[in-house]
Amino acid sequence: MSHKPEQGEALQTYQTNMTRRQSLKLMAALAASSMLPALSGCDTAPPATKTAAPTTALTGALTEEHWPDLKLAPLTGPGYGTDPNLILPPESPWPLTLTPAQLGLLALVADILVPREGAVPSASEVGVPTVLDEWVSAPYPRQQQDRVTVLSALAWLDDEATMRFGSRFTGLKRPQQLAIIDDIAFDNADTKPQFRRMTKAFALLRGLVVAAFFATPEGTKDIGYVGNTAIGGDYPGPTPAAKAHLDKILSELGLQEFAWKA
Amino acid sequence: MTTAQIDMPEVLIVGSGAGGAMAAYELTRNGHKVLLLEAGRDYDPKKETPMFKLNGDAPLMGAATPDKDFGFYDATIDGGWQVPNEPYTSAQGSEFMWWRARMLGGRTNHWGRYALRFSEHDFKGKSRDGLGADWPFEYKDIAPWYDKTEALVGVCGTNTGLDDMPPSPDGVLQPPPQPRVPELLVAAAAKKLGIPVVPMHRAVLTRPLDNRAACFYATPCGHGCSIGAAFQTTTSLLPMAKATGLLEVRTDAMVKSVTTDDKGQVTGVSYIDKKTGAEHSVTAKVVILAASACESARLLLNSKTDKYPQGLANSSGQVGKNLMDSTGANIGALVPALQGRPIYNEDGHTANHLFIPWWGHQAQAEKKLDFPRGYHFELGGRFGEPGANIDTSLQGYGKELKQQVKHKYGAYVSFALRGEMLPNPECYMDIDPEVKDKWGIPVARFHWKWSEHELKQIAHGLKTAKDILTLMGAEVGELPTPEQAILKGGQIIHEVGTTRMGASKTDSVTNQWGQSWDCPNLFVMDGGVFASNPHKNCTLTIMTLAMRNSSWLSTQLKQGAL
Repeated sequence: MSHKPEQGEALQTYQTNMTRRQSLKLMAALAASSMLPALSGCDTAPPATKTAAPTTALTGALTEEHWPDLKLAPLTGPGYGTDPNLILPPESPWPLTLTPAQLGLLALVADILVPREGAVPSASEVGVPTVLDEWVSAPYPRQQQDRVTVLSALAWLDDEATMRFGSRFTGLKRPQQLAIIDDIAFDNADTKPQFRRMTKAFALLRGLVVAAFFATPEGTKDIGYVGNTAIGGDYPGPTPAAKAHLDKILSELGLQEFAWKA
Repeated sequence: MTTAQIDMPEVLIVGSGAGGAMAAYELTRNGHKVLLLEAGRDYDPKKETPMFKLNGDAPLMGAATPDKDFGFYDATIDGGWQVPNEPYTSAQGSEFMWWRARMLGGRTNHWGRYALRFSEHDFKGKSRDGLGADWPFEYKDIAPWYDKTEALVGVCGTNTGLDDMPPSPDGVLQPPPQPRVPELLVAAAAKKLGIPVVPMHRAVLTRPLDNRAACFYATPCGHGCSIGAAFQTTTSLLPMAKATGLLEVRTDAMVKSVTTDDKGQVTGVSYIDKKTGAEHSVTAKVVILAASACESARLLLNSKTDKYPQGLANSSGQVGKNLMDSTGANIGALVPALQGRPIYNEDGHTANHLFIPWWGHQAQAEKKLDFPRGYHFELGGRFGEPGANIDTSLQGYGKELKQQVKHKYGAYVSFALRGEMLPNPECYMDIDPEVKDKWGIPVARFHWKWSEHELKQIAHGLKTAKDILTLMGAEVGELPTPEQAILKGGQIIHEVGTTRMGASKTDSVTNQWGQSWDCPNLFVMDGGVFASNPHKNCTLTIMTLAMRNSSWLSTQLKQGAL
């Protein structure tokens, strides 16, 4: 099936040519106003026979393996070049390409992956969908490859949602959304054969969302990174707590007598 | 950088990296007028280094791209594995990667700053095992120059007393930084196997030197260093040479050929001003090539005349031959014992504080190993700054997903093997008969094949790293084959040997002073002159040789010998 951009009323003002920081701010505003879970990127309904799934059941109808056959023209614009300004990195190095509908779905999925936890914001609150938009819109080989996987994964979610529950993913109730995610979020022996391909694609999407989240100031604080700060004098080395932990594991591993000495 | 205008330079230097800048420093210090040509643009680390910049502020979270192969913030300008409009080729069946930079200071702006001395053992490999070539001097001849270079450059580390690490005189080395937890765990596991783990020697200041500040333990050295702690020629040798008033630097000057007169005497060089495309000729008493091993060899091979039909300085036929890189392989694992450990600032000087030097000289002497030359391990693993590391092995979603990420944080330990390769007849470069760069200059063509020596060394290294990781409680799994694990030729960016020095003009390009056997007023002062490629990273020795040989050249000039 083909997937074309689709513009919803609620998001018609979304600007794809905005700069990095403007768009991060807008994403946060959109997320806060709960306008995001509005639309998906699939404009072609799957065959009617497959949409007859009962929407009352929590797990929905059993689906067979399916995969969206996206026809994506390669992005051929220039990159940031071999001599970009490193002090003031380009804010918008290439045009962003995700549709508002795709961004809405991405924001929803990103927040299932990385939800708000107390004072720690969710992925969409810190602009993760925009970072992924920049990623899949980049004219480099790795990102062009990821673009196919990510866009296919987003389209798959809508297809699966439609087949199981008769609605696009963003229109489902939370338990229905999670029923689908549960089927594709674990790559192990229990992964059902019809979900294996999507499970791999979802792993990339998840890896990107997680990386983008922890690379924000809020995420970096959340993971606990305390470097990138100037130290006067000598580097102090491990803290007493870190040393005590090292002693403990050396002992557990039977390595204490071999502990390093300067 | 603005520089003096020098009329009638005595010495022309091609290249402003480790060798060229050291030559400029030593020659201007001795009163010689020098014109230095650099193919790249001017570059000022004080203004252009992205200090403290976060990955999240860069496009693609700072990820490597074909425009910036080592990540957005890497200091390299207009270079990497490809230079725009300046291609190179590989012969059929060969794969070789050639890292170049087109900027003042060249690759010293981003190098790893690993600065280990070669030893007598390294200089006399052939005498010992009959393979490759000996260097035309003894360790004791170069030791005082290592002392001077280390003091000038600023190297942190310790005298370990190990046979692979010759000592520096007291007071030369600066104190190394404290080791961190993953390194200390590796050290204990390695020691159980009888393998030493010691402080790495790095060209990073831990004490102020001249007008350069000591390291403040933040910002990766590969981004460049605006405070001058991590050595690069653009914050040290070049400004020092410039301060004499005897150095003129011309950037965007792409040298095309070395010029000679009817008698075959070297007269200067011809270069293209990249900004205008105009070709210029400059003359001097002496020409020093320090454009990098393969760029200098390319220049010589492209400087063909009737008198020198196989290229300049190439009566031996050795120009372009004996191309060597370091062997490379990476292996790592998640160490369960390190999961969830207490977090602290592990940036340090941003590379390994401890490493594993080669410990197998004796075993090789006793013929207990099936490969002739050594290697070392650089250790990785710390609480690094989050960035574009896309982990596709995560499971699930929500709170538990985040817990997984946090649990793994700082628990991955990696070993980067760097080993000595031997020259072999299938590893060399020549000139591509068809392809020219944007400036009309015929390009380098590479030929490459690893030998059994390197593959067996890699196999040994993989097994050793696995043994150490296993003692640390890690699950390593099945090892790749050495053929799968060995990195590509050139990928370690230690390419040397293409204009090697030697004791005889029949099998080498220069004498021990880097002076061409064929043309006495032509010198090579980059890694091209290496007779062998010990596992210890080439830059310190490039600089040491450039200092020693420029000092000798200065004496020759003063005596009127050239």
